[in-house]
Amino acid sequence: MEKVKNPIGRVLIYLALILLVVYSVMPFVWSLLTSIKYPIEANNPKPKLFGFTPTMMNYEELWLYMEGSAFVPYAIAMLVLMIVIVVFAVLSVRLQWLSKPVTNMIAVGLFLVLLFVLPQVAQMSKFYDYFLNSLVVTVGTLVVSISIGCVGGYALARYSKIWGVIILIAALGFRALPRMAFSLPYYFIAQMTHLYDTRILLIIVMVAINQPFTIWMLRSFFMDIPKEIEEAAMIDGAGRLESFFKVIIPIAWPGIITTSLFTLLLAYNEFLMPKILTQANWTLPVAIASYTSGEDAAYRAIAAAASVSITIPIIIVIIFFQKYLVKGLAFGAVKG
Amino acid sequence: MNDKTFFGFVSPSVIIMVLLMVIPLMTAVFLGFHFVTYSNLESPQYVGLQNYTEMLTDPDFWASFNFTFIYIVTVVPASLVLGFGIAMLLDQVTAFRGFFIAAALIPHIITPVVGSLMFRTMFDRSGLYWYLLRALFDYDFTMTTTTVRMLIIGQGIWQTTPFAMITLFAGLQTLPKQLMEAATVDGANAFQKLWHIILPHLRSLFLFISLMGVMDAYRVLDQVLVITKQNPLFRADTVMYYNYKVAVMFSRLGKANAMSILTVFGIFIVLIPFLRITYKQQMESR
Repeated sequence: MEKVKNPIGRVLIYLALILLVVYSVMPFVWSLLTSIKYPIEANNPKPKLFGFTPTMMNYEELWLYMEGSAFVPYAIAMLVLMIVIVVFAVLSVRLQWLSKPVTNMIAVGLFLVLLFVLPQVAQMSKFYDYFLNSLVVTVGTLVVSISIGCVGGYALARYSKIWGVIILIAALGFRALPRMAFSLPYYFIAQMTHLYDTRILLIIVMVAINQPFTIWMLRSFFMDIPKEIEEAAMIDGAGRLESFFKVIIPIAWPGIITTSLFTLLLAYNEFLMPKILTQANWTLPVAIASYTSGEDAAYRAIAAAASVSITIPIIIVIIFFQKYLVKGLAFGAVKG
Repeated sequence: MNDKTFFGFVSPSVIIMVLLMVIPLMTAVFLGFHFVTYSNLESPQYVGLQNYTEMLTDPDFWASFNFTFIYIVTVVPASLVLGFGIAMLLDQVTAFRGFFIAAALIPHIITPVVGSLMFRTMFDRSGLYWYLLRALFDYDFTMTTTTVRMLIIGQGIWQTTPFAMITLFAGLQTLPKQLMEAATVDGANAFQKLWHIILPHLRSLFLFISLMGVMDAYRVLDQVLVITKQNPLFRADTVMYYNYKVAVMFSRLGKANAMSILTVFGIFIVLIPFLRITYKQQMESR
């Protein structure tokens, strides 16, 4: 559309957009400020935007079961080890010791090992356990869901008989059904099979409820890849599976990243399923909901610290993957 | 692709959907006909249609539908209008566009429980909005049924607008340039262009966003739980939150499953036309 040329008009447009930014981020900024205030300041009836004494006290209380100062050496050690891992990853790709995917997998694996070893050596709080639960469930859901979604979505993109349409429509129906209709039977089944309160149950359940969305989205990305590409590979003697892994997957990579991001967010943000299906092995959204019911003002600063801690990974995702996120969200617009 | 490869490839997805969606739904139907609480999970007691009659004569059940209806008819149109306005603004700028989009997306992809908590604390005592309301309008915000409902709706608009915004913004990028230029040559003013070109071009997107919005609004649960602080004094239950309460707080699993089945019928009223349209599209495009 043609642009407004009037300078006053342009100023007004930018002002409106700045207002939008304030409206969107203010709750987060406010929680960030509250989380670094002493409880007395967090409950001040004349709240301050600045000019208060900042403290890390709330984060220490939330994450640690020890003095903050005692944690400093562990934090430094973690940081050094993480830098070593990154340097190793960069070097091994540069010097061609290992291929890039293998290096990435080793690096991510080492990071995970670090995070799991930390509570063995330092006294971390329950919140850290919930963080690890969230991590395991999110990564597990992501890996399983995308692996089976890729083969399923690809097959649905390349198959034209009625069965494909039936599966797609059924998946769409499942996607629209309320989660409550599944969660209570899951509880019943989990109790019968003694899987209640385990991470593996959460992973299985989240894969299932995210599967309809995953296959729809991946299918549309695979449909954008011309059939001729894998046909050429198959004429050269590659089988269907081989041409899929060696030819199609590398081309579809951006689409797979987009779908992965949404699966990741869905699994990380899910509240109802872990709430119903766990008793002690909470994930982060369930843990923070427990801070919200009380009227106790002493909790306010801690709850803010928890909110900010949970949101930081999401902010990182926005910063690094904004392009893919926008593409995925606008996906309905492009496909009609 | 032949049938054998196709079924081989889709079987993991299909098996997991059948095992974890069809079987649970059948379990829900089964449990809906039984008296079940957490203490007699192993031995449900058959009670026929009693759960359904109890549910349908329960005033709280109808009240929850009532509030969900209010929620849908306020949040969905508001997010459409706001989202469209912001999309038009974004279309006007090129500098900092990425930054504006990133900031605007935060309410949408933040964990809903956390977003609701952050939003609510702004109105708590010593929250920023609470303070501003008092300082500027001399209004002391306290939680009552009405204000809690307004908070839930306000949070809903805050959370869903970015989706409408980004979808409509993508739609604006596909607006045919020649059409707009022709309209300018013909002397159409900005409002005429909006009414005769832009809105018709985006019509199917408005429909798509509304459908998604209705389905998501029908499922609102976490937000209500956080904003009401699970305090039963605030009568702001949505359908799903009431369903959750019957199951978790009243421990009436059978009754809750009966309610789930009723809500499934409820959503199908909206869903069936949508499924039919999609079915036709898919049959034509294959």
